[in-house]
Amino acid sequence: MTLAIEARDVVKTYGVGDAATQVLRGVDFRVKKGEFVFLAGPSGSGKTTLLSILGCVLTPTSGDVSLLGTRVSGRKESELPGLRVAYLGFIFQGHNLIASLTAAQNIALQLELRGHSPREAMKEAESLLDRVGLGDRTHHKPGELSGGQRQRVSVARALAGGPPIILADEPTASLDAQAGLLVTEMLREMAKERGHSVVVVTHDNRIYHLADRVVQIEDGTITGESS
Amino acid sequence: MTTGVFASDAGDARAAVSPPPAAAPLPSRASLAVRWRAMARTGLRMMLHDKLKMLGTLIGVVFAVILANQQLGTFMGLLQKNVLFLRNSGADVWIAPPGTTQFQSGKPISDVALMRARVMPDVEWAEPLLLGSVTVATPVGGAEPVTLIGVRLPIKGGGPWNMVAGTPEVLARPDTMIFEDADREKLGGLNLGSVREVAGHKVTVGGFTYGLIPFAPSFAFASYDLARELLKTPRDRMNFVMVKAKPGTDPVVLARALQENLGDEVKVMAKDDYAKTVYGYLLRATPLGITFGTSTLFGLIVGFVIVSLSMFSAVVDNLREFGTLKALGTTTADLAKLLFVQSVAYALVGSTIGLALVSNLANAIRSPRLALVLLPQTFGATFFVMTALCVIASSLALLRLHRLEPAMVFR
Ligand SMILES: Nc1ncnc2c1ncn2[C@@H]1O[C@H](COP(=O)(O)OP(=O)(O)OP(=O)(O)O)[C@@H](O)[C@H]1O
Ligand SMILES: [Mg+2]
Repeated sequence: MTLAIEARDVVKTYGVGDAATQVLRGVDFRVKKGEFVFLAGPSGSGKTTLLSILGCVLTPTSGDVSLLGTRVSGRKESELPGLRVAYLGFIFQGHNLIASLTAAQNIALQLELRGHSPREAMKEAESLLDRVGLGDRTHHKPGELSGGQRQRVSVARALAGGPPIILADEPTASLDAQAGLLVTEMLREMAKERGHSVVVVTHDNRIYHLADRVVQIEDGTITGESS
Repeated sequence: MTTGVFASDAGDARAAVSPPPAAAPLPSRASLAVRWRAMARTGLRMMLHDKLKMLGTLIGVVFAVILANQQLGTFMGLLQKNVLFLRNSGADVWIAPPGTTQFQSGKPISDVALMRARVMPDVEWAEPLLLGSVTVATPVGGAEPVTLIGVRLPIKGGGPWNMVAGTPEVLARPDTMIFEDADREKLGGLNLGSVREVAGHKVTVGGFTYGLIPFAPSFAFASYDLARELLKTPRDRMNFVMVKAKPGTDPVVLARALQENLGDEVKVMAKDDYAKTVYGYLLRATPLGITFGTSTLFGLIVGFVIVSLSMFSAVVDNLREFGTLKALGTTTADLAKLLFVQSVAYALVGSTIGLALVSNLANAIRSPRLALVLLPQTFGATFFVMTALCVIASSLALLRLHRLEPAMVFR
């Protein structure tokens, strides 16, 4: 069975010469289809770096990364945007919504980039907002939403168009415990419903119980995992 | 706890009873049309969101439009003043001294040209014209120059036009002249019936024209005989011969025939060719073209810099948003579309505002002495040039977006 994510012996070195620092030192990391995995570890351990490589926004120094059996490492720079559109949805620590677009327009834009017609995209965006409990906030801009609501819009945007893999970097970091829990529960529920595979980077041990698996990373290597 | 080993199936057990089919890679990327549309709308919405920055960029465009058009318009006004008489004389063809490049008096030509022109087959009429500079003595003891036109009566061409007092026929009265209304003050409170000494002769004011000021002292009209006296031109000499072509005759063809017939003693030009000769002279032999060209260019450069910097700063202020767009799958080419649409919008809106303002300015300052000429072509050219300017100015912003790493969104 093909894995959603398969990373083998991934090394990432920032800088060159004396300034070079090896941030990932041969990481093996796999996620099964439909799995909901947490990536945890101390600050500076390389979580974001690994997530960036899995997300095709950063190229590894060496090692192999495949998404659903398709090798994505070692690709030309110009192929990466297409791979991101085809495979990936992102949720960021800051919501990273476009401030000038309404909640619905933010989601619709992602859908249009995934080949939906503008009309379809709008309809689908509204139904996703309904699903995350923001049916009455479709025309609000991010500035008019609470932190938790924004992050729910981000979840809807990441899932929009049904990318097989969702990557989230500390999605609850800027939220209070309750809002963080709500967003993560919502993400899990929807991912399970729709068959997305999810990797969530988090420090937040109050939500560990939601994970299928928690993978520990320390100083650029996977040091363990728990279920 | 295991190290680096793949997990158990605990996760699935916790999930729904029968796991749904895993989502598959998405088959299609958006078509070019959808991408254009998505980028256009996003670009415009971003533009409208930051009103202050939008205003700043628009001011750059408006500034360039006003400055460039004001300079260009003034230059056009000067050009037109130099051919003012040619355009209004009613003559189709001009017989001038050889080497003529402007509408000025040169070495007078012989009346032989006039005689021969009159008997040419396609000539409706041919009339002599005198042109020269004379001074008018003012009551307070000063002297003001005017450009004297001497025209034969009854007037067939080259007479006063745009009269606000009196009629051209007053020139038939002895020692009577027609002056420019805008000069009345300068000439010492001129009125109908005022008497002034012109080139030593007492003449009476018989009428006024309005707006007949070339790129020289304003025109004053006299009968041919009076003008000849004032200018002391020999009886068989004249400055120009004006020729009217018979209906259906091409002035250019007639001019060529006249030139052949009259030889090198004169230069024969159809009206439009004469005007072009004047324009060419002004552009080549005077610093006017360079002066106005430089200041027009200056306006464009300043506008370019403002647009370029404010679009750049709009991008820099929103790098996170652009990084996010890149992470979501837009390419640099997509973001170029976004900037292109913004540039075109800035150019269209800015040009419209700028042209409206400069048209008002032109109306406000229009006087017989100074005219800001805005041709319909100027309007079209403004939109075209400003669009090109804004699109090129956006390249600094695009360069920044090209270098933007999508990985920054996780920082
Ligand atoms: N672009 C970069 N250039 C140089 N070093 C970098 C760069 N990005 C990250 N690093 C370094 O790599 C190491 C890992 O960074 P990373 O952001 O992956 O850590 P993290 O586990 O996400 O930490 P945190 O929990 O604080 O977000 C850090 O020491 C960091 O300083
Ligand atoms: Mg991090």
